[in-house]
Amino acid sequence: MKDGHYIKLTAVYFFAGLVMVYASYSLPKWLPGDFVTAMYYGSNVTLTAEQEAQIRACYPCQEGFSRYLLNLLSLKWGYSYAFLTPVSDLILEALPWTLLLFGGAHGASMLFGFIAGVEAAWRRGGWVEKAGVGCMTIMEGVPEMCTGVALLMLFALWLGWFPSSGAETAYSIYSAIERIWDMTHHLALPFTTLFLAYLPGNFLLTRGSMVMVLKEQFVQTARAKGLPPSRVRYAHAARNALLPMFTRFGLRIAFMVTGAVVVETIFSYPGMGTLLYKAIGLRDLSLIQGIVLISSLMVLFVNLAMEILYGIIDPRIRNAYKLPA
Amino acid sequence: MKLEIDNLTVTYRNNGHNLLALDRIDLTLERGRITALVGESGSGKTTLGRTLMGLLPDNSESSGCIKLDENEILGLDEEGLNEIRWSKVAMVFQNQAANFNPAHRIIDQVAEPLIQRRNMKKDDARQSAGDALKRMGLLNHQAIRFPHELSGGEIQRSMLAMALIMEPELLILDEPTSALDAMTKAFVADVIDKVRQRGSSVLLITHDLDLAQKLSDDIAVLYLGRIMETMPAGELFLNPMHPYTLALGRSYPGVQVLRDLGGIRGEAFYRITHQHPQTGEKAMFHNHIIGPGSFHEDRHVPPAGCLFQPRCTQADGDCLLKNVSMINVGDHQVRCLRGGIVNRIELKGVSKRYGQVVALDCTNLDLRAGEVFCVVGETGSGKSTLAMIASGVLLPDSGLRFFDSIDMDEWRKKDYKSLAGRIGVVYQNPSQSVSHRLSVLDIVAEPLRIQGIGGDRKETFERVKKALADVRLPSEQEFLRRYPHELNLGAIQRVCIARALISEPSLLVADEPTSFLDPSVQAKVLKLLMELQTEKGLTMIFVTHDIGLARKIADRVGVMLAGKMVEIGPSSLVLGSPLHPYTSLLIKSAGGNGGGMVQMNAEPAKGGCSFAPRCTLADRACFWQLPPQVCLDGSYHSAACFRPQVTDNECFMENKPCLSGAAPACCN
Repeated sequence: MKDGHYIKLTAVYFFAGLVMVYASYSLPKWLPGDFVTAMYYGSNVTLTAEQEAQIRACYPCQEGFSRYLLNLLSLKWGYSYAFLTPVSDLILEALPWTLLLFGGAHGASMLFGFIAGVEAAWRRGGWVEKAGVGCMTIMEGVPEMCTGVALLMLFALWLGWFPSSGAETAYSIYSAIERIWDMTHHLALPFTTLFLAYLPGNFLLTRGSMVMVLKEQFVQTARAKGLPPSRVRYAHAARNALLPMFTRFGLRIAFMVTGAVVVETIFSYPGMGTLLYKAIGLRDLSLIQGIVLISSLMVLFVNLAMEILYGIIDPRIRNAYKLPA
Repeated sequence: MKLEIDNLTVTYRNNGHNLLALDRIDLTLERGRITALVGESGSGKTTLGRTLMGLLPDNSESSGCIKLDENEILGLDEEGLNEIRWSKVAMVFQNQAANFNPAHRIIDQVAEPLIQRRNMKKDDARQSAGDALKRMGLLNHQAIRFPHELSGGEIQRSMLAMALIMEPELLILDEPTSALDAMTKAFVADVIDKVRQRGSSVLLITHDLDLAQKLSDDIAVLYLGRIMETMPAGELFLNPMHPYTLALGRSYPGVQVLRDLGGIRGEAFYRITHQHPQTGEKAMFHNHIIGPGSFHEDRHVPPAGCLFQPRCTQADGDCLLKNVSMINVGDHQVRCLRGGIVNRIELKGVSKRYGQVVALDCTNLDLRAGEVFCVVGETGSGKSTLAMIASGVLLPDSGLRFFDSIDMDEWRKKDYKSLAGRIGVVYQNPSQSVSHRLSVLDIVAEPLRIQGIGGDRKETFERVKKALADVRLPSEQEFLRRYPHELNLGAIQRVCIARALISEPSLLVADEPTSFLDPSVQAKVLKLLMELQTEKGLTMIFVTHDIGLARKIADRVGVMLAGKMVEIGPSSLVLGSPLHPYTSLLIKSAGGNGGGMVQMNAEPAKGGCSFAPRCTLADRACFWQLPPQVCLDGSYHSAACFRPQVTDNECFMENKPCLSGAAPACCN
């Protein structure tokens, strides 16, 4: 690949990023109501139009897009009226939790699903494979909301083995190791929910593409070369079954924030999903804009990363960029 | 290294109807020899290769033995097979590009067996792989590419490098040259030859008969999973013994082949074995031969009969019923009840004089069933005499004639009609060879009436109409009622051809049969004749002045000069690289070249070569001594000449008995 390609790629993504910034700036404004109506929505107080205007006047109105853009560049992400905290602080606080939960669940389900899928396809026709495919297909049909609620009720509320909410015990003073244990303890249920939600897809996808790859002639060649079976399975067959799985991973990671809303809400996990849920409820414009922006930039970034990684996973794709002169 | 395959049978299970891919194969691969395996697709060639690698799919069953240096390798487990694979037996698979993993670089895939099997260090292995690829003509920058970045030829060479990296003792090549350009093909052939010289044995599975013939030492012909013929490689085109080998050779557009492509009649079948009750009997396993579009109930072929029988043009009743085993015929082994291709007509020392004129000097000629033999030569050289003697129309002064191994003269005396029904004759002059008192219908129907095989009026009528349609003549009532004087010469000639073919003869003797036809009709009539050759095994003797025509249709060509057959051999050799100066002159003159090349009416020398007075190469001996027989190409191509035009690199033998037998020992 030529350098020109990277320059072009960066330019395209920069432009797309600009569009994203504008969209994340303007779209949340279309939400009906604002934080003033939201503030008094649940209470018995009914404001007259005059009172509303007075309250609104206490807060400076949001400036135009160019101003917003300049602020973004100087890392001023605005101020949350609902939480009375800078938006950037809120996001920086929530983002690591989401990354931990989702990155972990995705990574684990991918690794496990991949290996299970490869081994299942290798033993095609055996009872292990048939049972695996059956179970996973049923699991694929169960939405994460159901799994989440079921796990919550069983292990947190009934058995009480795991905490039902939060990411760590509040106001506690722990040593580093104790803290990690505490976090893991909190993480267990939401992590398991997501792991179970993503595993079947990864398994079925890998098995499916692996079954196709195993029919390819180069697998036969690898066997003919007298290579150890694990080498044939992973270096030759699985290596070429990687792509669909990788695509799925990329897509899922890109929609991490929106995907997080349900599970994080069920387990009251202080991640981006919960934050977004609250922000929309409170019509906290700056915060919504910030989260939407982060999430859309993440989509872009993952896309860019995938585009580059595709070429490494499958060298044939690299040449697909070369247009005929 | 020696690999012995003994009684190997492979079936693919498929819901009770099992496909029989290989049936009792016996084959020995010797050290330092290339064995080519040829046959149509579906004959089990690739299955054999994969069986040797232990790479049969799960739904297959195999029995028999495969012994590699006395060790049984059939039925070894994966671990045992991995010991043998690539280090002792390596295979170059078909469809090369698909055999490389698209995600790894070529050099890594070539080096992989060294790293994994020989525990070599990665750098050393890559070094060796790079060297191996370099020997195959791949540069370093190509070696580090990914498979999709290389061309087909480069991939093929990489595949060879990969197969040879562990220096296997047996190399199996599955279609190594398909879809390669001629240069790469030659390179690959050289590489394979080097492998042989190194002492490895090679199993070459190929459709490329030219390659098989040139490169290999032995050839085995596979049909429906059985070996039909094994032979020394050089004889593939020159002397096939099994009708299938002959038909296969005719279907192949070889570089040297001049004649139009023939084919094999019928469809390529496949075989299944299964179990079901036959009428009134209990369930038993038996074979079927299944072709596309047929119900297997129609095709119960008893396991005893010959597999090729449904498509064979010389099959008789025994072929359907009797068990066929391999028989030795010369260097060949042939699985044919009739001992290989039969001789349709044999002439032994026939001669003919008209007064003082020797029209035909003592001549031998054997024609095999389904062969097209063209007789060429200048006018008055005895072509027509030879043809008419062969057809039984003319009595020779001396010599013996055999038709289907039966003495023709005795047969003629006993039952002339049945002999005449098997030989169709087209005479030289069409207008004189039909009676002007008979209508077209009567002319064409006459052989049927005389031989009494026409059936009733209606059937005769239908057969006449069909025969006329075959030679592209109208078959309406109006035309059938016409008389010869109402037709032009071309139409009369076609009526003659229709008359010759109506009794469905097995030998057609035709003297200038298309001389009055325009090119388009001639092409159609010739196509019909060639089709009859493929479908019915029609043997033809064609007398023609038209060298171009002979090129297109002849399997063998005989060149006549003053009553002698001075050169005879496969048409590609006789017309491609003639030995006799007279043949060269004929070919040159046929191109329409003039320029004082040809002298007519030269007084022939007494006792010497008749061509001597006109020959530019002639010396004293040519005028006074009978020229010797010169044999080339395993004695299938011979000429009577002192100064044969042998190109430098060809060696030739003098005075060795010639199989094609132009000038027999009896005529001294």
